[in-house]
Amino acid sequence: MAKVLMKGNEAIGEAAIRAGCLNYFAYPITPQSEVAEYLSKRLPEVGGVFLQGESEVAVGYMLFGASGAGERVMTTSSSPGISLMSEAISYIAGAECPAVFVNIMRGGPGLGGILPSQGDYFQATKGGGHGDYHLLVLAPDGVQEAVEMTMQAFGLAEKYRNPVMVMGDGMIGQMMEPVEFPDDLKTEPTNKDDWASNGMSTRKSKKKNLVKSLFLDPAELNQHNLNLKAKYEQMKKEDVQYELYNADGDYQILIASYGTMSRVCRTAIDMLKAEGIEAAMFRPKTLFPFPEKQVHDAALKETCKCVISIEMSMGQMVEDVQRCVMGKKPVEFYGECGGEIPSPEKIMEIVKELIG
Amino acid sequence: MLPDISGIIIIAGNYGSGKSETAVNLAAVSRKSGKSVKITDLDLVNPYFRSREAKKPLEDLGVEVVLPGRKYMHADLPILTPAVADMIKNPADVTILDAGGDAAGVTVLAALEDVLEKSHVKLLQVINPLRPNTCDVQGCLKIKAQIEATAKLPVTGLISNANLLDETTPQIIYDGYNLVTRVSEATGLNIEFITASTRLLPQLATERIFCPILPIDRFLALPWTRN
Repeated sequence: MAKVLMKGNEAIGEAAIRAGCLNYFAYPITPQSEVAEYLSKRLPEVGGVFLQGESEVAVGYMLFGASGAGERVMTTSSSPGISLMSEAISYIAGAECPAVFVNIMRGGPGLGGILPSQGDYFQATKGGGHGDYHLLVLAPDGVQEAVEMTMQAFGLAEKYRNPVMVMGDGMIGQMMEPVEFPDDLKTEPTNKDDWASNGMSTRKSKKKNLVKSLFLDPAELNQHNLNLKAKYEQMKKEDVQYELYNADGDYQILIASYGTMSRVCRTAIDMLKAEGIEAAMFRPKTLFPFPEKQVHDAALKETCKCVISIEMSMGQMVEDVQRCVMGKKPVEFYGECGGEIPSPEKIMEIVKELIG
Repeated sequence: MLPDISGIIIIAGNYGSGKSETAVNLAAVSRKSGKSVKITDLDLVNPYFRSREAKKPLEDLGVEVVLPGRKYMHADLPILTPAVADMIKNPADVTILDAGGDAAGVTVLAALEDVLEKSHVKLLQVINPLRPNTCDVQGCLKIKAQIEATAKLPVTGLISNANLLDETTPQIIYDGYNLVTRVSEATGLNIEFITASTRLLPQLATERIFCPILPIDRFLALPWTRN
């Protein structure tokens, strides 16, 4: 298919359909409402279901119900809405159901503002809801990658029977870029007869499946958590995604950034290069599992004086970068989170100051 | 040939057709040709990339930019400042109203019905065939009907804004011109102008295009793009 010009939010909606998702439940919130608007028109055309919940709390449980019944399902929201869904996310992870959540982040805390932010890194990678669970978190840096990651998310969610989050921000949701929808990213739905409440007549089985997150027996609950932990370890082994940019040469500084912020850093790195200054970028595409070894190894490059994490937050991913670099190189931080995105010139200035 | 349009001009079109970039560039070109220009951002639908973001460069050119108060600039609230009605009653040589996308985006025009019906306004439909809903004549006509029903005004002219941002080629511009030509034949509406980025202008075979061309300099570019 030829390229078309799409807004990130529309493209995410179309990508879900191309990935075989026919169930979408959501509640409007700026800056992601166009996903709901787009899918409210498109899903009926392809025999799918769009349902606006009465709140994000309800939407979260609609996803639990649909995924528990073995259906591909997605919701999209923005930061405050994801907070409201976090209880259901914990239940879905606990009950080992596949579901896709998209967070088009806006400024916070609380109502914050409607402009882009990366303030939900901790929420996405370290919890949000209660209990020992992790989401697999994908972080696109533009509209094309948002399409690809949304399409991949359904397969990954089923591979691990775990909720997957695609974490963009208001800029990714609102900006327009040329996109295409690669057919090869569509995965066939897995057979869910072993665990889903998908109807005994359809699966012609006598086995009764119960989708639940309640385990009252202590030994059983401990074992359940050990099983979940094993899945997270498997994610770390098999599904880490990252990019290194301008990292082949003798760089003096390693910039860690993701999503929209990495676009600015990429421009800054190109402009620095034109001035004869070599900076490299480490960009995690999965925020969980975090590319631990890759950032460690990139930081240890002999010519690299220091690492800086640059974020549209007050310092969240930097904690993972520090953890992985293990004190072997200095790890600095720069962030802004009012909604204005730091300029490439600002990043250049910071880099020059650090490398002297 | 540059567009030479005067009067009250409403820029409408489907969502993401490039109305704001077109409106802002039309304002700049008109001002540079010596006309007095006023522009307002009536986009009550889109939260980002609205023509209001070009306020400073337009004001530097001498264009009067009519907007809600500064503290509401980043609110997703449907604020229609009374200054807009005043601007229609006291127009400049060129007075541009940049509406929001789709039918929802022109709903605001119904609120201005009283002042608009006393003025002779041009309602121009911007078409980018590389957007999903306007890739053919039928799609463009459907959007036209929706805009007219909601705005309670007839579309009076067409604009082709065929582009794939930085990946635009001359062929994309020719294809867009062909599509609006067919929409023009189907509706009897005039093609007011087509757009082309200043980067592509030297590559265009302008003898193939029988209408004015508005050169586009991106005022609403992504914050990390640099030349």
